[in-house]
Amino acid sequence: MLAFADLVFYMFAAMLLGSAMGVIFAKNPMHCVLLLILTFFNAAGLFILLGAEFIGLLLVMVYVGAIAVMFLFVLMTIDIDFAVLKEGFASYLPSGLIVGAVLMAELVIAGQAGLFSGARISTLTAMPAPDGVENIRALGQVLFTHYLFPFQVAALILLVAMIGAIVLTHRRREGVRRQNVMAQIARTREDSLSIVKVKPGQGI
Amino acid sequence: MEALFALVTAENALLIAKNLALILCITLPLLGAVAYLTLAERKVIGWMQLRVGPNRVGPYGLLQPIADAVKLIFKETIIPADASKVVFMIAPAMVMVPALIAWAVIPFGEGMVLADINLGVLYLLATSSLGVYGVLMSGWASNSKYPFLGAVRSAAQMVSYEVSMGLTLLSIILMSGSMNLSDIVMAQKGMWYMIPAFPMFVVFIISILAETNRAPFDLPEGEAELVAGFHAEYGSMPFALFFLGEYANMILMSAMTAVLFMGGWLPPVDMAPFTWVPGIVWFAAKIAFVLFIFLWVRATLPRYRYDQLMRLGWKVFLPFTLIWLVLTASAMHLLGKV
Amino acid sequence: MTPFNMMPFDWFAVAPALPEVFLACAAMGLLIVGVFSRGEVASRSVGGLALVSLVVTYVIMHAAKVADFQQAFPKGAVGFMFVADEFAFYAKGLILAAGVFSILLTPDFMNRNSINKFEYYVLITLATLGMMIMVSANDLLAMYVGMELMSFCLYILAAFWRDNLKSSEAGLKYFVLGSLASGLMLYGMSLLYGMTGDTSFDGIGILLGNGLPNIEHSVAITVALVLMIVAMAFKVSAVPFHMWTPDVYEGAPTPVTVFMATAPKAAAMLLMMRVLYQPLLALEDQWMQMLTVLSLLTMGIGSLLAIVQTNIKRLLAYSSIGNVGFMLVGVVAGTEDGVQGVLVYLAIYLTMTIGLFAVLLSLRRKNVFVETIDDLAGLARTAPGAAFAMMLITFSLAGVPPLVGFFGKFYVFSAAIAAGQTWLAISGVLFSVIAAYYCLRIVKVMYFDEGKFRPELNQPSNAQWIAVLAAAGVLVMSVFIDVLDHTAGRAASSLFRLEHTVARH
Repeated sequence: MLAFADLVFYMFAAMLLGSAMGVIFAKNPMHCVLLLILTFFNAAGLFILLGAEFIGLLLVMVYVGAIAVMFLFVLMTIDIDFAVLKEGFASYLPSGLIVGAVLMAELVIAGQAGLFSGARISTLTAMPAPDGVENIRALGQVLFTHYLFPFQVAALILLVAMIGAIVLTHRRREGVRRQNVMAQIARTREDSLSIVKVKPGQGI
Repeated sequence: MEALFALVTAENALLIAKNLALILCITLPLLGAVAYLTLAERKVIGWMQLRVGPNRVGPYGLLQPIADAVKLIFKETIIPADASKVVFMIAPAMVMVPALIAWAVIPFGEGMVLADINLGVLYLLATSSLGVYGVLMSGWASNSKYPFLGAVRSAAQMVSYEVSMGLTLLSIILMSGSMNLSDIVMAQKGMWYMIPAFPMFVVFIISILAETNRAPFDLPEGEAELVAGFHAEYGSMPFALFFLGEYANMILMSAMTAVLFMGGWLPPVDMAPFTWVPGIVWFAAKIAFVLFIFLWVRATLPRYRYDQLMRLGWKVFLPFTLIWLVLTASAMHLLGKV
Repeated sequence: MTPFNMMPFDWFAVAPALPEVFLACAAMGLLIVGVFSRGEVASRSVGGLALVSLVVTYVIMHAAKVADFQQAFPKGAVGFMFVADEFAFYAKGLILAAGVFSILLTPDFMNRNSINKFEYYVLITLATLGMMIMVSANDLLAMYVGMELMSFCLYILAAFWRDNLKSSEAGLKYFVLGSLASGLMLYGMSLLYGMTGDTSFDGIGILLGNGLPNIEHSVAITVALVLMIVAMAFKVSAVPFHMWTPDVYEGAPTPVTVFMATAPKAAAMLLMMRVLYQPLLALEDQWMQMLTVLSLLTMGIGSLLAIVQTNIKRLLAYSSIGNVGFMLVGVVAGTEDGVQGVLVYLAIYLTMTIGLFAVLLSLRRKNVFVETIDDLAGLARTAPGAAFAMMLITFSLAGVPPLVGFFGKFYVFSAAIAAGQTWLAISGVLFSVIAAYYCLRIVKVMYFDEGKFRPELNQPSNAQWIAVLAAAGVLVMSVFIDVLDHTAGRAASSLFRLEHTVARH
């Protein structure tokens, strides 16, 4: 007996796979990114279906709302010549196919060996899903206690990425007029206005 | 396949029908409100500028939105020859849809909410971050330089202001201790959050102006330099969808402001004459007030320059909201609320 | 554990990581100092403060060790993922020293090429922090974030000279390949986690030590092992995962190359040993085969290709690859002696590398820093002191007996022989004979060749006295080799601390 949730699952899963295929096969990179966004979206749907609503919404917010926008930005502003993009395709195809075939074979062998059976060699299991505790509360509880250390270091990594972006790209250009808000606010009437008495017929 | 058919039960059908009815109950009045918001805008701005505003169609011009709609529907849809057609046609819907689906979590009264989910605030943020795609897609698909520039501007603007908006919301979440919008409203029973978090309220109002691309932050549509920006190539119904999307977004943001800062459906004072009025009326009144701010600002302030806009978002609001967040957290800790 | 109620957070659990906490705060402080001071002053003051903070970190670390924080504060929230044992202490000593000397070697080069930006020092500090976290990691997560912190800083540093095409290329190349390696590492880690259900080194070590119930899982774990070893081999630049090394070393600004050739090498090597000897010890049979092949290839390719290089930075890159190969011999030995040998080797390798680069950085030819080996021609006549220092260090690199380089090789090879890997040790000796060729070639060019333009000494700079210090080091260290050996011994024995490791045979 299928539950209603199953139907929703199949819908999301089918859309996910379809749009993921589209990402690979679409000719126009712009369409690829748009389909990628659709993929993220469906993945988020699956997460929510699993009961991981926080991760699902985060996926939408972070990947769809921020990262993919940056992708689009870059793609929109660079001039892509589609002919050049597709030029090397035929020559790379064989090596690509070989790599793909090898990976596929490995997956099959691994599957045959029961790698994906889900059995563990230990008696340890994942933490049981808490009852009646919101996702986000549960995450917060472990993130700021047990995982505090890697969490903080991850923050440092982001800091480094930010420093890097500034160091490698920021240039102080000469001849650009910048707004100095403080100077604008501090401007007084005496600074900018002078009353000159002009005698008739003489000019200034 | 059989299993699929087994899903077609009276129970499931009823469930779907009920939800559809609820959705219609929300969207239809919303679309009506959107239509009349356009009229209200023209009227209000007209009065502010000592004009009459539209007054030809129907009594006091009340039928004007309908006339506009009829006009737009009967216009010819033009797709530019070099446009990317599919993307071009999807784009307007991408502006409209997020503005509609976000209403799923907005509580209109106690228990009057379509989906009472725990992460309502996050859902709102997630859906509001989607609107930028419609703009980007339309700008790119038009294959024309002004729409393109408009789209780039608007995308940068929306992404920038989402950051400060998200941070203001965080301080609200800290104060209420919940991400559920109904809980947030109930937590404001004693005092609306716009009082203790007044600076955040101001930041939020300014951010939603920028987020909806409204004056004084309407650079993506700047007529003077961009001939109406990202939707310059659109006409007829696709254009109408952009238009509806923008106004639906304004109403949504106003509703968010009402829920997060102005106590949602709660009356201003928990006393007899006020409590007689049903909650939904209070809610509508608050939305109308914030919408009035939108129009008021548009009639009053000149347009910002783009670098000033970016500067305001990143160099003023971002640090300010961050500091405020820390202050809020410390205050909550010191008050023993956490 | 009571996971989802309010778990009281014990702040003292952070105590063992106090040096790291200090360094992290210091790095952020440096950033603020840099932002609020202008131009020349910014980089000078931030550079100075970075030096001070590295030294202070060492002092704190020493104090923490004396006070025995690790014992005094039993494992808490941080302690689960962090271990401050003798091994980590030794490793951090090396890393901090490498950081200090790289900073000292920097300003002259950066000023001359007008890329003296204060962010450089912040990044060095953060990279050092990342490495300290790496070598102290007691959990897959902590190890990964530490490694990423280090790598991110290095990607940026490699591209730091952004107006120089080679530098940008080096940064991009390093970034792309490094991300691939990180991806492989994550993949391996996730498989390992999936199969054991644990991310902590202790937990994985005990689970794997108890034996694998059936063959299927051992396949998965072997895949995980391969992926992780590939990633770590990339970080230490072992052949065949060394391709990035010469290009990046050549392209990166020389002070960055100094840093990359020393601290991250040491950190990755030490991390590799910790991972192999603690959680993955039970798989010794498997990784030993892989590492034997890696070590042979690395020694061979590193030594042979170094001979044909003309650019001195590329030569040093291949030389460092070769040295990694010799160190891997010690890892393969699989004994405490082997580990001890590697630790000693690392200290010596660091000294020699810093010395070599210090000599290079103190020379110029036609007003630019020397680039090729032929640029060194006639150095013995213009700057006999520099030539002599260079000669001492290269002889040491070649492993000429009274100098300290000899002892490094001696320890790892004798450990290998003691562990029954005689033929590996023999091939190691053969390859070090080949390596001696390129070392002697440098000496020959300096003393007997004559170039059109002779290299000259720069104006007095830090590089000169560091070169002298390193040259003296290779002489003096062989006298005090016992002290080094003793310290390394204690560090090595702390690596073999798990109970099941004692009872493994």
